[in-house]
Amino acid sequence: MPSHLDTSALARIRSLELRAKVIVEGLWKGMHRSPYHGFSVEFSEYRAYVQGDDPRYIDWKVLARSDRTFIKKFEDETNLRCQLVVDHSRSMSFGSGPMTKADYAATLAATMALFLMQQGDAVGVTTFGQTLQEHIPARNRPGHLRRLMLELEKPAPAGPTSLDLSVGQLADLVRKRGLICLVSDLLAPVEKLERQLGLLGAMGHDVVLFHVMDRAEIDFSFDKAAHFRDAETGTERFIDPASAREVYLNRLNVHRDFIRRACERQGIEYHWTPTDTPIEHVLFDFLSARLRKKGGVARR
Amino acid sequence: MTWLFPLYLLGGAAIIGPILMHLRRKPPQDRVEFSSLMFLDAQTPMPVSKRRLENWLLLLLRCLALLLLALMFARPLWRSENEDTVSQNQATVLLLDRSASMQRGDLWKQAITAATQRLEKIALTDRLAVATLDRESKLLWSFDQDKTSASTRLAALKPQLAAMKPGWASTDLGQALVDAAGWFGSAQGLSGLKKRLVVITDFQEGARLDALRGMVWPENIAVEVVRVDAPNADNFTLSLAASASEDTERGDAETRSMTRIRLSNSRDSKASDFKLTWDKGTEPPTTGYLPPGASRVLSLPGIAGTLTLTGDAWDFDNQIFIAPAQPKAVKIVFIGEEKTHSEAATPLFYLSRALQPTPSLRPELTVVPETAQSLPAGTELVFISGARLSAPLMQSVRALAEKGGLVIAVVTPEMKPQDLEALTGISGIQSDVSDKSASSDEYQMLSEVQTTHPLLRPFADERLRDFTKLHFWKHRKLTLPKDSLLEVLAHFDQGDPAILACSLGKGRVVLLTSGWHPADSQLALSTKFVPLLYGWLEAAGFRNEQTASLLVGDVLPLEAATSIMTPDSQSLTPKPGDTIRAEVPGIYTLGKDRLIAVNIAPEEGRITPMDLAKLRELGVRVEEGELDAAASAKAEDKERLAITEQEARQRAWIWLLGSLLAILAWETWLAGRIRQSQPQPAFTPA
Repeated sequence: MPSHLDTSALARIRSLELRAKVIVEGLWKGMHRSPYHGFSVEFSEYRAYVQGDDPRYIDWKVLARSDRTFIKKFEDETNLRCQLVVDHSRSMSFGSGPMTKADYAATLAATMALFLMQQGDAVGVTTFGQTLQEHIPARNRPGHLRRLMLELEKPAPAGPTSLDLSVGQLADLVRKRGLICLVSDLLAPVEKLERQLGLLGAMGHDVVLFHVMDRAEIDFSFDKAAHFRDAETGTERFIDPASAREVYLNRLNVHRDFIRRACERQGIEYHWTPTDTPIEHVLFDFLSARLRKKGGVARR
Repeated sequence: MTWLFPLYLLGGAAIIGPILMHLRRKPPQDRVEFSSLMFLDAQTPMPVSKRRLENWLLLLLRCLALLLLALMFARPLWRSENEDTVSQNQATVLLLDRSASMQRGDLWKQAITAATQRLEKIALTDRLAVATLDRESKLLWSFDQDKTSASTRLAALKPQLAAMKPGWASTDLGQALVDAAGWFGSAQGLSGLKKRLVVITDFQEGARLDALRGMVWPENIAVEVVRVDAPNADNFTLSLAASASEDTERGDAETRSMTRIRLSNSRDSKASDFKLTWDKGTEPPTTGYLPPGASRVLSLPGIAGTLTLTGDAWDFDNQIFIAPAQPKAVKIVFIGEEKTHSEAATPLFYLSRALQPTPSLRPELTVVPETAQSLPAGTELVFISGARLSAPLMQSVRALAEKGGLVIAVVTPEMKPQDLEALTGISGIQSDVSDKSASSDEYQMLSEVQTTHPLLRPFADERLRDFTKLHFWKHRKLTLPKDSLLEVLAHFDQGDPAILACSLGKGRVVLLTSGWHPADSQLALSTKFVPLLYGWLEAAGFRNEQTASLLVGDVLPLEAATSIMTPDSQSLTPKPGDTIRAEVPGIYTLGKDRLIAVNIAPEEGRITPMDLAKLRELGVRVEEGELDAAASAKAEDKERLAITEQEARQRAWIWLLGSLLAILAWETWLAGRIRQSQPQPAFTPA
């Protein structure tokens, strides 16, 4: 397990890029002590030839050596294309700790971007609110990381979250298969989300969902009755936390379960990410999960 | 415990405020920005009031702070137990001024009304003494009487007061206050009572306060001055001034026929024109102008009778009585050579000129030859100079001295030691009768003069003790036996006795070792001679002063008089040893023909009201009383002032303020702690 920086210490680093570097360096150091030494998302992929595959991609050397037919991926495909899709809706601006959800999401995205680009992978960033706001296609060239960072550092604009619409638009924009990391609090109706995520999966994308929530949202740890104002819609309701907490937590769990199950159904990797979780843990878990997934493929 | 401003205690009701605030639930005013309300339903706001008090310790501190604030503003003070018990019962001395000035207008009526009101107000449990004051204070009702018969005090005092009239004496307020303070001290059973002295007076400027200077006024005796006021103070004051003839000794005939009076006008007087009239009408009236506050000495034609002044508002002091001059005859015998009567070098020449008649004395000098057998009848003073008395005459002289007469003998060469022994009754006097002559440029002066001796009393004044210009050319030396009864009153500067005296029976014998005539000394020509002679006359019982005018309240010089006729035609027959005081002004007739004028004291005419501050300056605790309804209001003010002073001394509010600050500090700390312990909404607005 790598040593980690807590979120409050991280929040004091103003530059997002520097923040990401700190996390990634910590992660690399931790990896040398890790039992998963040598793993990478960038392993070349071999798979058994199945009927219908393009015979051009058969690795003849392997065939000659082992008499087995394996398909070898194209070179460019071995380089991962990762599109980081970050929620920029108003609800992300909430935070009870040192970092808001938006900060956390941006830091997480920036860390992944840096980590992947250091491996030579192509990384892009897409932000969305009600609709897609900015889209930077995945690339790996000098200066691209800087551009990603600038985009991620932009403050979250106003507006509600419309997940299904945004995911649908994303599917149109990202044609090449790759890794799509969706970082969002998912505080929106999720009935249509499953279908859209399923669409992405069907397009061959590997979808990972980071469900970012603030600790106050998870526990609803308010004491005083007050007028609660919806950050996205601006509506106000008088809420006595003592009496409303139970219902809230029930509904939140139902919501979360629904999402998790939908992800399971669609083969989407789901990461529950409260904002007080150190980012390197999240990244580490993510990488571990990828390894397991790849390992499983390799063993087949 | 009592309060200086009790109304502020109502401020304590402000504790309702914090109680209500603690009962009131603050409607939630907070706005909390939350990411999404999709999982939350709207609720109805909770009721504002609640039934349970929250944070009772904080509430208690807040209420306590408000109560302390109210207490602090109400300014508490503790009155000592002693004062509380004192306030229940009082010991009162009521002093009623019945001096002459109270005769003005309705002052006396006002005073009696005020006195009666005061008497009626005094409870039976209180102790009372009543006295009048003028030149001296006189008890009408003592504390001791009051102790035994308090219930009858009103019945006894009211008729007394009703029958009383103001007198003619002056006001000695100071002595009356001192006396009253003494009554408080001497009466039994007054301890623990509040002591109060009520003086009903016109409190005129002429009231004497000297007696107060000699005492420290007791702190526990409060003096209330109930002032009775006259409508105005337009008053002239008449008094006799020293006559010019007395001043000059040799006043001419015209001066002797004039009377000098001092006329003063009150400061606040509106009257300024006056008229002075003799009762007999033989002299024309004198009119004049005297501005307010001024004083003048007037010489009026006429020497005796009643002088009446008109022109001012008040008549009580407008008459001055002047008795006609009644010089007393003194029979003086000079034993020596008669032929020397008109020779300027002889003793008799100077003696006869020195003994001139004065308004009070009429010396009658008779020369008796040394060979005479006895002194003339009625002789009171004998001078012997330059003669050797015959034995019968010597016997007669001695008899006179033993009966109380005065014998002055000049020791001359003619006198033998046995003569001295016969005269003084003292044997063993060595006499060097030869003249101790000094040369023309040598002289003796007097030294070691016993000025305190009655015979030399005129020189008691330090200004008259300069004997350096008094030169003696010749004297006779006397050597006195040891333990001699002869007293040396003065020495010469070489040490020889100059004046000697001894008692003989009731009288005295004076020996001079040098004569007064120029052959012996400069005494007769010096300014000391006449005072010396009159000093001897005074020692012999003949005072050279005008005793014909007394003031009301003075003791009448009865001497041997067996009857007195007062100005209001009352005839009194005093017994020997009686002391009779003059009660009314006017001419008293003592015996057959001795006239004594008694007048009102001049200071009694100074009727301008005095400032109470004068009493306060003398240390008296003064409160001013009022006759009208405002008196009670004023008494409340006094009480208020007293408790204000007491509160200022105790300053309990400082302790309350300290406690208040401590409680506020505690409240602040506690409130801060409670606030910190309450969880705050966990959110950070965007």
